[in-house]
Amino acid sequence: MHERLSFYVHRDSPLHRLNPLTKLTMVFAFILLSFGSPWYWTPHILIVLVILPLSFIGRVQREYLLTAARLIFPAAGFLFLMQSLFQPIGQTVWFRWWVLEVTHEAVAFAFVNAARIIVMVSSFTLLLLTTHPSELMSDLTRRGLPSQFAYVIISTLQIIPQMQAKAQTIIAAQRSRGLDTQSSFVKRVGALVPLVGPLVFGSLVEVEERAIAIEARGFTSSHAKTSLREIPDSRFDQILRGALIVSVLLAFVSRLWLS
Amino acid sequence: MAIVTLQNVTYKYPLTEAPVLQNVNLQVNEGEFVAVIGPNGAGKSTLCYTLAGFVPHFFKGELTGIVEVAGVETHQSSLNEWVLNVGLAFQNPFNQISGAKYTVFEEIAFGLENIGVPRGEMKPRVEKALALTGISDLADRSPYSLSGGQQQRVALTSILVMEPKVLVLDEPTSQMDPIGTREVFGVIRTMAERGMTVVLAEHKVEWIAAFADRVVALKDGQVLLDGKPGEVLTSPLLEEAGFGISRYTSTARKAKEMGLWKKDQLPVTLEEAVEGFRS
Ligand SMILES: Nc1ncnc2c1ncn2[C@@H]1O[C@H](COP(=O)(O)OP(=O)(O)OP(=O)(O)O)[C@@H](O)[C@H]1O
Ligand SMILES: [Mg+2]
Repeated sequence: MHERLSFYVHRDSPLHRLNPLTKLTMVFAFILLSFGSPWYWTPHILIVLVILPLSFIGRVQREYLLTAARLIFPAAGFLFLMQSLFQPIGQTVWFRWWVLEVTHEAVAFAFVNAARIIVMVSSFTLLLLTTHPSELMSDLTRRGLPSQFAYVIISTLQIIPQMQAKAQTIIAAQRSRGLDTQSSFVKRVGALVPLVGPLVFGSLVEVEERAIAIEARGFTSSHAKTSLREIPDSRFDQILRGALIVSVLLAFVSRLWLS
Repeated sequence: MAIVTLQNVTYKYPLTEAPVLQNVNLQVNEGEFVAVIGPNGAGKSTLCYTLAGFVPHFFKGELTGIVEVAGVETHQSSLNEWVLNVGLAFQNPFNQISGAKYTVFEEIAFGLENIGVPRGEMKPRVEKALALTGISDLADRSPYSLSGGQQQRVALTSILVMEPKVLVLDEPTSQMDPIGTREVFGVIRTMAERGMTVVLAEHKVEWIAAFADRVVALKDGQVLLDGKPGEVLTSPLLEEAGFGISRYTSTARKAKEMGLWKKDQLPVTLEEAVEGFRS
């Protein structure tokens, strides 16, 4: 936990060595493809044949699969269930139960939607796991993104692990004062209420202090920024970005064509 | 030569009724080490923010009077230019870490990147700053994996690397344990010895007595006392006004009433007390 800044896993892999913008393009290309492609199985194919292998290429398969098992698949599964049950579309009724009607069309719709969610969250997860926040920030500002905007992205990326760490501290402190965090679920949820205040208000004061601290280091300086790290942007990066954009365009064009 | 001048400075935050600083006059000479003491809410942090340009440029509110550093008036300047002259570090080391960097080395380079120092110059400057504050061995660590004292030294180094003319420190050790406090004061001592102009808001009077050339006592936003550490820190006015004072001073004051302390000057540090009781 300690040596960990945001989600980034410090390793050497082809995915780590890609330019941050290339990876960002990849994320958006996957998302656009999974929503925009005319072919029903696109998101499913992306998950199995692209995202999963990429996690191995990036040498972050363990971290990715853990996140997928704990967070992404349960959430997508829930979405699938809800949409299958409550989506009032379709005629081909598979079965009826009470007021619920499960139709072939609703299940098909839910199945593709769940896959799209998985593509979306998974590709962002892979980006975060293999991209150093500071490289992403430097690269984007170098390409003309306002630095304030870049900073918001970067600090949001790492606020979650920080909040986790802080919540742990607060929980430990409250528990030592007799707070119950280990019994039944309802009790535990109730017991979490006292944690919200310190977590949120602490954060607001912190935001001001943080702003002062980075301002004291010339963050909004009008000089053009420089960067300590050299960020690679190879020929391969450029070609890959081009290919991704072209494939998205093709998907959208063929969709228009077919409709 | 005065590098910092405050003349009749009065300041009110946007949301406060009464002024938080009232008619403050203060001069700091080049190379001088000035400590600011005061009870909670006296306005120490506000004074630090004023020196560092965050009042009025960041906090807004009403600032009247003259604030001048290195010949430039605060109203005539912008925060971006101001921070190049005045470096600010404060209490919580955790909040001073940019959060965008993976190693201490990169963290310290952050300020240089912001002001556009070329890559070639950056490395030697960071290395020099690390050596100066004695944290070269932390260069490759993650800033988040460090102890409070180490983080605070990283925060100081991040400011020092920008080579400000004046260093303003707002209770940099208030969240440190004794070890962290000693580490941080070690850095402050180095700065003082190298002739850096330092303004330090601090509660720990024994450390102040050891370092400061001058002490300013602030109470309700006004300057109560301004003078040599030996005079200000032992003044009977302090205790009445609710300042924290050195236990050696209060012990010796009692001893003096009983005729056991012979000297005129009361002690602040253990050494002074021991020496005084010996003679
Ligand atoms: N951002 C703000 N907005 C409004 N009022 C403020 C703000 N910051 C401080 N104050 C008020 O200004 C007064 C002086 O506060 P300041 O933080 O400068 O005191 P201090 O001497 O640093 O105290 P401490 O020893 O607690 O750090 C206090 O009454 C405080 O409530
Ligand atoms: Mg303060």
